[in-house]
Amino acid sequence: MGRPHLSWRGRALVASVFVVLFWAVIYPNVVVLLESVSGDAGFTLGHYAEFFQTSSELRALWSSVWISVLTVVLSAAIGVPLAFLFAGYEFPGRWVLGALAAMPVLLPPLVGVIAILFLYGESGIATRFLQSALRLDAPPWRLQGPGAILAVHAYSMYVYFYLFSLAGLARIDPAVFEAAASLGAGRVRTLTRVALPLLTPTLAGASLLTFMTSMASFSAPYVLGGGFRVMTTQIFNSKLQGEMSMAMVEAVMLAAVSILVLWPLSRWEGSREYVAPGKGTRSARVPVKSRWARFGITAAAGLGVLLLVLPHLTLVLVSFVPDGAWTTETLPPAYSFENYLQLFSDPRTLRPILNSLLMASAATVAAVALAVAVGQLVVRWRVRGSKLLEGMVILPWALPGTVLAIALATTFSVNQPWAFRFVLVGTPWILALAYTLRVLPLTGRALLAGYRQVDPSLEEAAASLGAGPWRTLRRVTVPGLLPAIAVGASLAFVTGLGEFVASIVLYTFRTRPISIEILSQLRDFDLGAAAAYGVLLMILVGAAFMFGQRWLQTGRS
Amino acid sequence: MDAILGLQHPGLEQALSIFLHLDSLNRSFDGAPAVRDLSLDIAEHEIITLLGPSGCGKTTTLRMVAGFESPDSGRIVLEGRDVTRITPRHRGFGMVFQHYALFPHLDVGANVAFGLESAGLTRAEIERRVASSLELVGLPDTEARSVGSLSGGQQQRIALARALAPEPKVLLLDEPLSNLDAALRERTRRELRTLVKDIGITSIYVTHDQEEAFDLSDRIAVMRDGRLDQVGPAEELYHSPATEFVAKFLGRAGAARGIVEERASTGSVRCRMGAGPVWEAQASDSGQPYAAGSDVRLLARPEALEICNPQADGAVRGVVVDRRFAGSFYVYAVDVERGELEVQSTADVAKAGETVGLRPLAPPAGLFAFPLRDEHGE
Repeated sequence: MGRPHLSWRGRALVASVFVVLFWAVIYPNVVVLLESVSGDAGFTLGHYAEFFQTSSELRALWSSVWISVLTVVLSAAIGVPLAFLFAGYEFPGRWVLGALAAMPVLLPPLVGVIAILFLYGESGIATRFLQSALRLDAPPWRLQGPGAILAVHAYSMYVYFYLFSLAGLARIDPAVFEAAASLGAGRVRTLTRVALPLLTPTLAGASLLTFMTSMASFSAPYVLGGGFRVMTTQIFNSKLQGEMSMAMVEAVMLAAVSILVLWPLSRWEGSREYVAPGKGTRSARVPVKSRWARFGITAAAGLGVLLLVLPHLTLVLVSFVPDGAWTTETLPPAYSFENYLQLFSDPRTLRPILNSLLMASAATVAAVALAVAVGQLVVRWRVRGSKLLEGMVILPWALPGTVLAIALATTFSVNQPWAFRFVLVGTPWILALAYTLRVLPLTGRALLAGYRQVDPSLEEAAASLGAGPWRTLRRVTVPGLLPAIAVGASLAFVTGLGEFVASIVLYTFRTRPISIEILSQLRDFDLGAAAAYGVLLMILVGAAFMFGQRWLQTGRS
Repeated sequence: MDAILGLQHPGLEQALSIFLHLDSLNRSFDGAPAVRDLSLDIAEHEIITLLGPSGCGKTTTLRMVAGFESPDSGRIVLEGRDVTRITPRHRGFGMVFQHYALFPHLDVGANVAFGLESAGLTRAEIERRVASSLELVGLPDTEARSVGSLSGGQQQRIALARALAPEPKVLLLDEPLSNLDAALRERTRRELRTLVKDIGITSIYVTHDQEEAFDLSDRIAVMRDGRLDQVGPAEELYHSPATEFVAKFLGRAGAARGIVEERASTGSVRCRMGAGPVWEAQASDSGQPYAAGSDVRLLARPEALEICNPQADGAVRGVVVDRRFAGSFYVYAVDVERGELEVQSTADVAKAGETVGLRPLAPPAGLFAFPLRDEHGE
């Protein structure tokens, strides 16, 4: 099939999409790269030399890598067995517990960190409970350093492995397991020879996502790191101390290492995809027969899931604690609605909520529109440079939020209209741009996949029935894309709502989002107010996911 | 009971050394019975087909035999040994799945070797058996091919080779040809029959396709609503169906209502066709009363009737409502007083709209009378 012939309006669209993406995605990174090798006297590698001669820098880079590798291992160790449990066995409460096991997705990164802080921190509920129960003089542990970061990472990222594996297992034709059984394979052999190899692409995908998320993670090392530094916190500190050249070098190094890992893993992910043929309607779940085993499995799963939702419960509990009421007791002694009332009555505390909602909405709309345009260009029109377009949409995903923030802060802090550089720092526009870029890979991936699933003959049918391009887009293409839009938009909105990493570099007092406000409440030791914001975020995130699911179903029917 | 097991021929009864015995199997899903009180005996080396429309319980029955479903009650006995509670893994039955269920991450050789590895054979022995299994299904030297690169027909044969390689006692086939196109299906069917017969493996074959059943099986078990309607060789089912369902499911049959005149001693029954003549039809043998004056539904195979002059002796009058050319013959649908009969003829003898007469060629062959219980209640 050849490329469709484009009208001048079509060509104008192609050109503007290329220009916008190049300017927003590629250009700031190029600026950072160039400025990281320029000094007062032109080109220099001095900043890089300094980086490689400073042991603390190298240590931080190495820490980012090993923390991320261990995060992948730990997350897989929790998420994959959970998925096998819930996908493989039928027992009372399976449905509810299975859904609850995905609860950590409701906690945006910073909120997850503070929830765990309230629970297991030095003065956390669980810590104090153990301390008083065991009559210890000091808390049984300190939630600080690499161990604490790893714990938080594993807690918030096993969900990737859990959800990916569930979906992967659902895609496998259950007859394959029956075939293995009829050929005499036992449980272990079926697992190692059939189930895991078939899940390999899925597990590669989850590993990739977990590794990248962990490399980019900022909240956990920032709040819990103590003296322990990783690359993201290093970049932030350099920026804070005004050492922009060093911040840029660090950003380049972090991005380089991330992409170095991304490349081989993503090829592995795409290399082998097995799709179940035909029916596969029969459930592969084994009913647990023995009553004791059934009770045991439900109890164990329930206990495990309780552990997973304890942070949520803690967050809710603390959100009802008035300012200053909780000092040395194990459980907070007093509760009221004060925090919530204040949240919505005081314009000063309401402001971050409105900011976050507005920014998340704007970024979602912009990113969906861009993704639809790119989908049309790449999948339907097959324009020249499609690979480049696709790459530009996905690229921000490979770049940690801190790197993105540094790139934007560098590029848009000077006014050079002839170089397409404007002063956006200090205005709401820089946050809008950052949020849009942060969520663009989410909508982009969803819509590219969506476009590829919509049968092009539907559009040809519409054209043969006399519909013009606009009517075809409105009546045929977009309705077919609704499921993809639902998935992309809800993920984008949720990510925007909880955004912290880029915000902390780019916000101003007027544009501060919820996450920044949570941090400042925490600094003022107003734990209740911080928790109330956290609960609000959790509810909004849950609502957005439910809305997306609902929309997904209507789009499919 | 003998009729249900298809044992009315004394010779067959002796030949039937029971190898696999299904004893009163029951299975329901969420309260809805899928298989009810199903009993079936299968002889060694026999190929038996479970035939029925979708949802009749044939696949559930096969899966119980395989061990993937456990019966709510009843037993599965192999060579006198109760295997009902034995897991599929240890049951040692080979199975060919509808979508083949080949392991997509393993190459052809590793797929076929899978069951042999479970059995703990030596590497050399495994390689030898893989090669001979592939040879057997006509795909020698394909060990290194990936299963994704094979055509549907080839995948089907690899699935068969994989199931046969461990030399199972029983081979179970779940609609293995349903994913092939028509021409390939027919050829593969022939090859499958030759292969299974040559090996002499006891097989249970599940299908909804009457032609497949006729072509492949020694005996056919027709299932409806979770029960067996009739079991027997294809000819017997076709020429002496025990129920109206079997008569209609295997082959074509027109139907008209008649009234019993008398029950003849030979197992046939004489029925008056509307206001017209009296035709002799086979009585179903399950002890039906056929009281004189009661209503019956008379089913007639198209090849058992001929078109004649409407005034001829013993002719039922009717109007041709449809004429169809079927290659070597024509099929006419004829609207008669109390139903619609079909008749086939090698010559084109009537036009649509024409009034014709119909009469049986060699009664009671191809004519079956079933009491009309529905209209009268039980």
